[in-house]
Amino acid sequence: MPTPSATSNRPEDVILRLCSLETEVKFKALRELKNQIIGNRTKKLSYVKLGAVPAVVSALSLSADAGDFAGLVQASAVIGSFACGLEAGVRAVLDAGAFSLLFRLISHHYDHKVVDAVARSLRMIYRSKLAPKYDLVQKENIDFLLSLLNSESENLTGLGASIITHSCQTTIDQKALCEAGALKKLLSLLEGSLNQRDASLESLSTIIRSNPDVSSEFMEADSGRAFRTICELTKDRYPRTRLLASMCLIAMWNTSPSYPQDAGLRTKLILVLLELLDEPGQVGDEAPFALSSLVARKEDLQKLAFEAGFVDRLSNHLRKGPLQAKRMQGIFLALADVCSKLEACRSRLLSLEILKLIAEALTHESSEVQVAACICLQSVSRSVKSLSAGLFLNEMLVIPLLQLLNGASAPVQVAALRAISNIVVEFTTRKSTFVQCGGVKQLVHLAKSMDPTIRLNAVWVLRNLVFLADNRCKEEILLELTPSMLSSLICDPEPPVQQQALGFVRNLVDGSIDSIGFIFTEDAIILHAVGRQLRSTSKDEVCVQGMYVLGNVASGNEFHKESVLQQLLPSADSYNQCVLVKFLRSSDNGLRTAAAWTVVNLTFHGCPGAYRRLVKLRNAGVYSQIKNMISDPCLDVKLRVKTALVQSMTFGDSSS
Amino acid sequence: MSVTEQFSSVAGVQHQHHHRRGTFADHLFRPAAPPHAASTLAIFLRLKCCVAEAKEVGYGALYENSLITNEICENDHRLAHSLESLTVGVVGLKYRNRLVHPWGSAVGVGNCRVSSLITHGFEGAVLMSLFWIVLRQLADIEEAMATSRKVITKEEWEKKLNDVPIKKADMNKLVMNFLVTEGYVDAAEKFRQESGTEHIDLATITDRMAVKKAVQCGNVEDAIEKVNDLNPEILDTNPQLFFHLQQQRLIELIRNGKIEEALEFAQEELAPRGEENQSFLEELERTVALLAFEDVSNCPVGELLDISQRLKTASEVNAAILTSQSHEKDPKLPSLLKMLIWAQNQLDEKASYPRINDLSTAKLEDPAV
Repeated sequence: MPTPSATSNRPEDVILRLCSLETEVKFKALRELKNQIIGNRTKKLSYVKLGAVPAVVSALSLSADAGDFAGLVQASAVIGSFACGLEAGVRAVLDAGAFSLLFRLISHHYDHKVVDAVARSLRMIYRSKLAPKYDLVQKENIDFLLSLLNSESENLTGLGASIITHSCQTTIDQKALCEAGALKKLLSLLEGSLNQRDASLESLSTIIRSNPDVSSEFMEADSGRAFRTICELTKDRYPRTRLLASMCLIAMWNTSPSYPQDAGLRTKLILVLLELLDEPGQVGDEAPFALSSLVARKEDLQKLAFEAGFVDRLSNHLRKGPLQAKRMQGIFLALADVCSKLEACRSRLLSLEILKLIAEALTHESSEVQVAACICLQSVSRSVKSLSAGLFLNEMLVIPLLQLLNGASAPVQVAALRAISNIVVEFTTRKSTFVQCGGVKQLVHLAKSMDPTIRLNAVWVLRNLVFLADNRCKEEILLELTPSMLSSLICDPEPPVQQQALGFVRNLVDGSIDSIGFIFTEDAIILHAVGRQLRSTSKDEVCVQGMYVLGNVASGNEFHKESVLQQLLPSADSYNQCVLVKFLRSSDNGLRTAAAWTVVNLTFHGCPGAYRRLVKLRNAGVYSQIKNMISDPCLDVKLRVKTALVQSMTFGDSSS
Repeated sequence: MSVTEQFSSVAGVQHQHHHRRGTFADHLFRPAAPPHAASTLAIFLRLKCCVAEAKEVGYGALYENSLITNEICENDHRLAHSLESLTVGVVGLKYRNRLVHPWGSAVGVGNCRVSSLITHGFEGAVLMSLFWIVLRQLADIEEAMATSRKVITKEEWEKKLNDVPIKKADMNKLVMNFLVTEGYVDAAEKFRQESGTEHIDLATITDRMAVKKAVQCGNVEDAIEKVNDLNPEILDTNPQLFFHLQQQRLIELIRNGKIEEALEFAQEELAPRGEENQSFLEELERTVALLAFEDVSNCPVGELLDISQRLKTASEVNAAILTSQSHEKDPKLPSLLKMLIWAQNQLDEKASYPRINDLSTAKLEDPAV
């Protein structure tokens, strides 16, 4: 055995020897490098920084020219290892031009050892998101891909499957693959070796996903045999195979939800996935994500999952801890999905004292876990029952949530804001807890953010915070926010922000007559902003909120009512159509309702100026429109219209 | 610099863990030496039909052919799996001395006439059939909701046994599967010649065995290079295996008294892995703790220096290479034994029947009345 002490193994020297013209020296250097970096991220990174990757790629190229097979095998292995599990490595490999070189080799080389080594290397690169997309629409590309899948070599079929998994992204890709017979080929690989089977399952999910045509082709393949095979594979002895087969079925169900109708099959799949949670490593980490995609947005499946003990099993895992970050993230997301619609799930989860674990996860070092915990909290706190019980608005949750608002990354802030916006919907007097913790200051700060999503969610929280709040609380919040900032939020460039800001005002002026006074502070700057926005915007959802603001204000005293009328009919001789008429004619039920409410409130009999206002409204054409709405399809509208007409008749308005 | 200071400079934390890992039990799952005596092979043969049947209908069939196991399989994979491990433990204990022959015996069966053993057909058939009978019996009894313990005589039992058809070729495949998976190249080749049973490419076994042997001899670096030549993906995608090999390398350095080198290696190679994974860090601490004791044979982590640690690491590499080659990483035989034990235990609660207590002879005991 040659002693390595003759030559130094310091990185710089190894890199130097990579460029040697002597085949033997170069070969040894490549092998040395390979053995140093495999399994060792730290070394990979330091070699990448030292510029080893371009040297290896040029060694690969020289070996190819010289017909040095041994060198090719080693160089390919080194490149593959650099691309394995290290983004910087993949980038370096791609930047050095290794990709096209390797592809040329695999298409044209005849030595099977070289081909195997190159295929492994390419497969590593295709595992990364950074790998270039393989153009699946070109005929010769598809032909080559099929030739890979048809190969005897496991490495080549594996590469073919990896290319599909990575590059099949659009319906067109899926269609092209199917037409070329890739689906059939992949199904036949299910009968192949263990590795081929797993690779095939992974690609099948990709090819079926969101494509009803391919999905039904898959279900009918071999008169349903392929489907049954995959169902069987969910019971395979290898956990990874069970997971991949399950994911394949999930991709199919998410595409063609009704096939087959058998609920038992779905329950079994839930059980299979729940058991996979016990697996160590990647399989156990990915299982909750699969569960989450199985039950997301599907109430029937959430129900089945609940009955299968989903909530208990997942919370047990959390409780047993400590878990790797990825797994925790997955479990929280899966719990969030299962609780998104069903109250039974939420109350079960709460009875398992999950809130403490959520609170802990909010301070987890991984931002992904923090986000997942927030999403879970958001989903659990959709429970009106628990909100009424005041389960959420306590220091255990509020303090870590507010800390997340200080965090650097926008996704964390947004997730925290969304969770907060649910938990501040409170029917008790606990809102002060939030205010005392300094929450309002932070929200106001975030409401000034340049990021529209953060701004939107911050205003949304404020809107929910003032919902049914007492006047003292409202006053504090408005003091912090200031009327001028509120008016600029009402006129925000983003319609969703406008909508939430108007929603905030709507909640602000809701309740006792004193609270209407808030809108008149600082020369009624807020009211003017509302009126301006109503006259200029074309978004129905914004107008609905704005009309409710005016409707609420119009329920106040004479001064309030007159001010609203002023906003609705700014000038007597305007040629423009009155906004109120426009809204009454809207196709949006909510907007018509809000507009009708405003008319009702403005002309409420028993108020001294009611008749005067009625005349003004009639002159603006409001009543001729109202009369047309007597049989409005929306019951709510119909009712308000009737009230408005009855009120107008008490004044002896004979025009009707 | 004192030894303890050096220690803490590597891992940062200075704990001494006193819990011992069950190196003994870990062994039982993977017989580490070649089958030696005739009786050993005979046992394999006796169980083959179960595997054969399982193979035809897929792995799950073993469970699904009985009502009870079917239920378990439907509802709880994990339970079924843990039953498997439980029973394999029991089998392992019983067979420790027979199945697992100590090191030093010749690799391969040597002069033993392998194929002659296949003529032990009758005895073998008893055990194989028994497995199915036990399961079916269980099902029958469950169905009948028998209130009292049923007694099955030896004659009835043997008649049932004889009704189970067994193919010799399947039996041979089972034996071959064991030899190949465990890497007994010579024995596999001999068995192929004598029984005509085909097996996978012998070259792949040879490479795999070379790696295994290198670890068993303490040449871990050599083993790592061999694995990387065989398939560079294996260690790149199995962080745990890679860590265990590096850990073994560290142990060998400590064993050889190369303290300076060991410390440098631990800092350079292992510490970064510990940072990536908490459980690696704990294992690393345990390993480096070896340096803190003058008399390592008596220290709480002394078992790391034991030969069994090498064998454990070697098994792990062996399994990973097998998986990378799309082979099952465990031989089928131990699973069959453990399922037999499990089935007998289930039946014990319901009936009195001719039990097999000594698996090595597969003798049917008279039912206790």
